[in-house]
Amino acid sequence: MLSQRQLALILIAPGLLLVAALFLYPLGFSLVSAFTRADGTLTLEWFAKAYELYSGDIVFTVIIVLASCLLTALAAIAIAGTLTLGDNPWIVGTLKALYRWPLFIPFIVAAQCMRTFLAKNGLMNNTFVSLGLMEPLSATSFLDWRGIIATFVWKQTPFVALLVAGALASIDRATLEAGRNLGASRLRVLIELALPQVMPTLLVALVLSFVTMLSVLSVPLMVSGSQPTMLTVDMAFRINAYGDYATANALGVITYLISAGAAILYLKRSMAKEATS
Amino acid sequence: MRILTVVCSTAALMVATPLSAQTLNVATAGDQNMVDYVKDYLGPMFEKSHPGVKVVSVGTGAGDSGSQKIYEKLDAQKTAAASDFDVVVIHQKAAGTMVKEGLLAKYTDKVDTAKLVTSETATNSLGADVSGFVLPMFQSQTALAYNADLVKSPPGTYAELREWAKKNPKQFGYNGIKGGMSGVAFVAGWVYAFGGDADKLIKGPYDPSVKASWDGALVDLKDFNKNVVITPGNAGTLDMLNRGEIAIGPVWVDMFYSWQADGKLPPNMKLKLAAPGMPGQPMYYAVPEKTAHRKLAEEFIALATSPQVQADGIVKRFNWYPGIDAKNLEGKLDQAAWNKLFSDITPTDLSKNAKAFPIAPYFNDILESYEKKVAN
Repeated sequence: MLSQRQLALILIAPGLLLVAALFLYPLGFSLVSAFTRADGTLTLEWFAKAYELYSGDIVFTVIIVLASCLLTALAAIAIAGTLTLGDNPWIVGTLKALYRWPLFIPFIVAAQCMRTFLAKNGLMNNTFVSLGLMEPLSATSFLDWRGIIATFVWKQTPFVALLVAGALASIDRATLEAGRNLGASRLRVLIELALPQVMPTLLVALVLSFVTMLSVLSVPLMVSGSQPTMLTVDMAFRINAYGDYATANALGVITYLISAGAAILYLKRSMAKEATS
Repeated sequence: MRILTVVCSTAALMVATPLSAQTLNVATAGDQNMVDYVKDYLGPMFEKSHPGVKVVSVGTGAGDSGSQKIYEKLDAQKTAAASDFDVVVIHQKAAGTMVKEGLLAKYTDKVDTAKLVTSETATNSLGADVSGFVLPMFQSQTALAYNADLVKSPPGTYAELREWAKKNPKQFGYNGIKGGMSGVAFVAGWVYAFGGDADKLIKGPYDPSVKASWDGALVDLKDFNKNVVITPGNAGTLDMLNRGEIAIGPVWVDMFYSWQADGKLPPNMKLKLAAPGMPGQPMYYAVPEKTAHRKLAEEFIALATSPQVQADGIVKRFNWYPGIDAKNLEGKLDQAAWNKLFSDITPTDLSKNAKAFPIAPYFNDILESYEKKVAN
């Protein structure tokens, strides 16, 4: 007879194998390729090359993703706050029905839409012009870093809002109502009473969004020109133009490090929380 | 319910494994129009003349990355009994690599239409000797597209374009080097114009120290970039021309004509091939060494490079320049189709200013120098 322990091992084996074959092996492979020459000797030359050619893009990527996270957080808090604390049923109902839609739209489709929406003579500017809100000559194209941020925020806000709204709905209403009874405005209740209680959820949602945005290739490729651009585009270019996996993997390692930064922030926070509870 | 399941899975099986029919898998690197060319035009024609054969057209993506995927697949199947692809349509850079690594079969001596090919690109692919391994499907060319209503006298040379862009900031747009080959071609043309000896870059031999001589040209290009728009991709440049956001931009001639025919570009757009020259490139038909259907593959390519197909399909329907020598098309093509292809860019312009891309090592040097000196 198999012991309980062996049985448990057999049960998790398929999952473990899957993780090992589809994640750990390629990860190890790319790490090795980033640090070795073709003859197998250790080197940092790919990192030097990555820095020499793409230092600007590394900074650009971090700034884009951080700014997108920040704006996503603000938009998501506004939506989730309205959903939980708003008392106009018409607004709450409409918002509830609408806000999840971008979740079901793939990044590449969103990018394609933004490409015609945000262009200089695109749908957005043409609408403003025909409404008389803008002179045709002052129209500018948003198909650059602003376009990338707009697409990311549009796409990630519902995800973060969904999680935050769920967390807000499950906190003890009594504290919020006590605040309201004592005369605090709804905004103040949201910021000072509700938000601190759902901070861990918000943080998890943002860390997940951060990592997702870091890995998107279609949006920077389709929405903006290539100078500067995000690291995913550079990785694709290294491979497609030069067949150079080593530098592409070095850029990959740099991306791991950036996302590890977000992960550490998240782990630290959850550990601190466990220590206090 | 159970019957439905059985029926569905049988149907799926039948689709997946045609029992007696032979399948010819044609993998095409390139924009969607090239995949459509095989799927909607060439494939059905071949199936008609070869009953029982099914042509499956697979697109692997635009630009060199599409060819890179074909290369990786064939490389991975090196030790397998048969490769998945029977005919591949590839770019120049990948063709050289694949021939060198023995992934392609020597087949052109078995195809009669090979005699109709006179282009130098059939033997020399960016410096690599590919004679016997490839036949050009078509020749494509980049040129400056411009809005004739906004630009009365378009710049005829790179030097004039540089002045024009200074006077008309943000009215010229190209897609950098990471967004598709029309931008790469523009940059290569810039280096031909301002970087010294263009002939050496096209013909070789390779000398690693040459790239230092481009420094001045690249500094100028960085300066030039301040006054231009970087567009998102080949199609991005055409989109912006269409919406009137830029007045001049480098484009592929075939895409330009196809978009114009579809009404996606206004009729007041024209083309100009800037001196001293802009690059063009062929796409190649090649046969993987490990194909299980070599004979069929050769027959497919023979059909694809026959004068009638080159006239009707390549020139008339898709606006490419023919892969075989153009004189073989005489009589197969009506005058209107011929004139359309050569109205903006005359055969004289073509022979003077249509250049090849630089040989592969210079090509890579140009891209990397651009990344180093211009983009970062």
